[in-house]
Amino acid sequence: MRVIPSKERRKIYSRRIKSFWADFGRNRIGIVGIGIVLVFVFTAALAPWLTPYHPINDQNLATDMAKPAWVRIFPQNRDLPISAEQTIRWDTPHSGSIDFLVSTDEEWGEVVNAKYVGGGERTDVYLNWGFSYSHRPPKVFNCEFRWMSSNVNDMGYSLELFLVRKGDDRNFTLWDSSVKSHNWKRRIPLPLLTVPTLPEGWPKLVQVHSKNVNIYVDRLEFEEVQNLAEIAFSEKGDYELKMHIKFEPESENATCEIDLMRGSFQVLGTVFGVLGVDKFGADIFSQMVYGSRISLAIGLLAAVLVTSIGITVGVTAGYLGGVVDEAAMRIVDVLMSLPWLPLLIALVALFGKNVYYIVLLIVLFGWTGLARTIRSQVLSLREMAFIEAARASGGSRPYIIFRHIVPNILPIAFAALVTAIPWAILAEAGLSFIGFGDPRLPSWGRMLNYAFYWGAFKRLAWWWILPPGLAIMALCLGFVFIGHAIDEVVNPRLRRRR
Amino acid sequence: MIMKEYIARRIIYALGVLFIVATLNFIIFQVIPPYDPVDMLVDPRFSPEAKAQLRKEWGLDQPLSTRYVKYITNLFVLNLGRSFMTKEPVTYEISRRLPSTVLLLGTSFVFTVLVGIPIGILAASKRGGKVDVLTIGVGLFTFAAPGFFIQLIFLLVFSNWLGWFPWGQMYPVTMNPSEDYLKFVLSVLHHLVLPVASLVVASFGSWALYSRNMLIEALTQDFILTARAKGVKKRVILFGHAFKATLPPIATMLTMSIPGIFTGAVITEFVFTWPGIGRWFLDSMVSRDYPAVQGMLFIYAIMITIANFVADLIYGFLDPRIRVGQKR
Repeated sequence: MRVIPSKERRKIYSRRIKSFWADFGRNRIGIVGIGIVLVFVFTAALAPWLTPYHPINDQNLATDMAKPAWVRIFPQNRDLPISAEQTIRWDTPHSGSIDFLVSTDEEWGEVVNAKYVGGGERTDVYLNWGFSYSHRPPKVFNCEFRWMSSNVNDMGYSLELFLVRKGDDRNFTLWDSSVKSHNWKRRIPLPLLTVPTLPEGWPKLVQVHSKNVNIYVDRLEFEEVQNLAEIAFSEKGDYELKMHIKFEPESENATCEIDLMRGSFQVLGTVFGVLGVDKFGADIFSQMVYGSRISLAIGLLAAVLVTSIGITVGVTAGYLGGVVDEAAMRIVDVLMSLPWLPLLIALVALFGKNVYYIVLLIVLFGWTGLARTIRSQVLSLREMAFIEAARASGGSRPYIIFRHIVPNILPIAFAALVTAIPWAILAEAGLSFIGFGDPRLPSWGRMLNYAFYWGAFKRLAWWWILPPGLAIMALCLGFVFIGHAIDEVVNPRLRRRR
Repeated sequence: MIMKEYIARRIIYALGVLFIVATLNFIIFQVIPPYDPVDMLVDPRFSPEAKAQLRKEWGLDQPLSTRYVKYITNLFVLNLGRSFMTKEPVTYEISRRLPSTVLLLGTSFVFTVLVGIPIGILAASKRGGKVDVLTIGVGLFTFAAPGFFIQLIFLLVFSNWLGWFPWGQMYPVTMNPSEDYLKFVLSVLHHLVLPVASLVVASFGSWALYSRNMLIEALTQDFILTARAKGVKKRVILFGHAFKATLPPIATMLTMSIPGIFTGAVITEFVFTWPGIGRWFLDSMVSRDYPAVQGMLFIYAIMITIANFVADLIYGFLDPRIRVGQKR
């Protein structure tokens, strides 16, 4: 028999591929599909450069379910607050009995050291940090700083942090070192202890979250309010954060030093980023970007496995026939009579919500249809003249399968591969949506599940609900378009009459 | 005679599939059980002796083979065991919830077919026309759009935003069905609108596309050319000849799609908190009510087997060319 030299064969193949490309290129839907898919591929590849935030771990970037930042182009949203964080720089007052020393430390940033030199006099000092706020009231603000006391001898002292707006006589206490309880929601403030015995040494971290602070305007008088941030920042203007340090010496030799380290004040916006944030304040845009990785990976992996199993089984069964064929087709029949979606749910729930299991199970239920199609194709190919000629001229079984059968079913296999991708993506998305996906992966289905469970619908948080669904749809549509185009190219009967 | 043999063959085949499914069910939940049934049913503080006693009483100490035989014989009389959660027989729990699922799926299935197939005929009758292009577009869109997302959008727009329809459930929790029957029916219909509408929107495209493709394939056949050459009217060709030829595959497809619709209802009922069997399946899965899960899986398998069987029969009856008795 004449074996076509490999060079010539390569030429034939390259000509075939070229003509396929030429046909495909004329198909507008196919080109659109490729464009869509490429956009997602680039998004997935460039994810870390497209967004600075981790999709899950970076939480509290803004108020829960903050809108996208671009809604501010509408006049009614113009002065919605965006997330902003500022470093606190304390202004030190002049005081006869306190020596202030401002230094810069490598580890702690700017450190304000207040040293008591009052010689036994009770002393109150106020450190100020002013800033202006020109948005509508935020829902949440946070304040964080470190402080430390040292050289404490015969000295009672306390620190109190509060917020005032210029021109308003109310002040809002955010934190008080003498109140031991962390539960600031408690109605009764604990009495001021005269000598808080605080250990010296390592700086203590103070974190104030406006949601956890109970508001009392005059020390003992509570004001019934829902949200401190809304009340405190009810008007635009200049605000001051004040640190009140109180020294109560017990003898003339009393000494004490207070260090105030690096602090920051953060207002959480009610608008944020490209697509807002979810219930936990995590950036939705970065979840979208990273979600494309998961969907693409799962879709491609599952589709490649499905196609290779489908081809292997289909070709083997179709070409060998007999017992092998019978056995393979019965297995296919049984798998096809299984309720694949409920079974998928049950198996995932029983054996662990792990993305690899999910892919394997999707593959397990996905290859049957393709195997059947390919088998019937191979059955008809087997009877064709050129195969019989190859067989008659002594071509071995593997030779015929790999040289003649497989190249001829490749177009179908390729179309099947492309249509299997959206199928797998949709299966994973559905599974994640009903809560049986891999909980560690920020997939689009999981986003929808969270949105469904955490009240995005009640709040009409379309920026949380629409993007993942639309992304699934767009990506799948891209693959469906490509599949449709391939189908039209390799199945000329479906081609539109011109 | 041949038809009889064909039917007998199909029945034996269907029973075989069911048997395999039951065995798989047994293997998954009994041989490699991820749980101890005794722990699931009684207080964990029971003493080991009491647990052993219960094991003996429930036959869990018997060898797997005995239990397997018992399991299979129980399936024959549709004894699916008792639910861990409600302690009621699983068959009772399923039959209690089946009507609402059938109501939901039946309504949407009828509407889907009534909308989808005429559109497909319309598209095929004027190939390349506006309707045709639109049908292809919608059909492809259907393959790409996750059904649950369309349902979510319906919820978001018509329930949360516009407030026209209630958010899930089949009727208000406070309502007593037996009190005012008319009011109850109206309320159920009101609750039915969103799920049915969203299901129809999510799936009519594939039906339109399928019937269009079938019809176009029929229209390119030689007998249509002959009819046209004879001067038969276009309408008659379309409905009398071409559509008639597409009936067997469409009818087969309709029957075959029913189990898929039932299993797909798992997600639909999750979205609309519809009190049907799909919702119950998920709830059982979450609460580790394994007998319920096992029973549901078997019921789904029965549905698929029956649907496949009926589809085979329809195919055998409708298509005169079918070589009955021969393998597919």
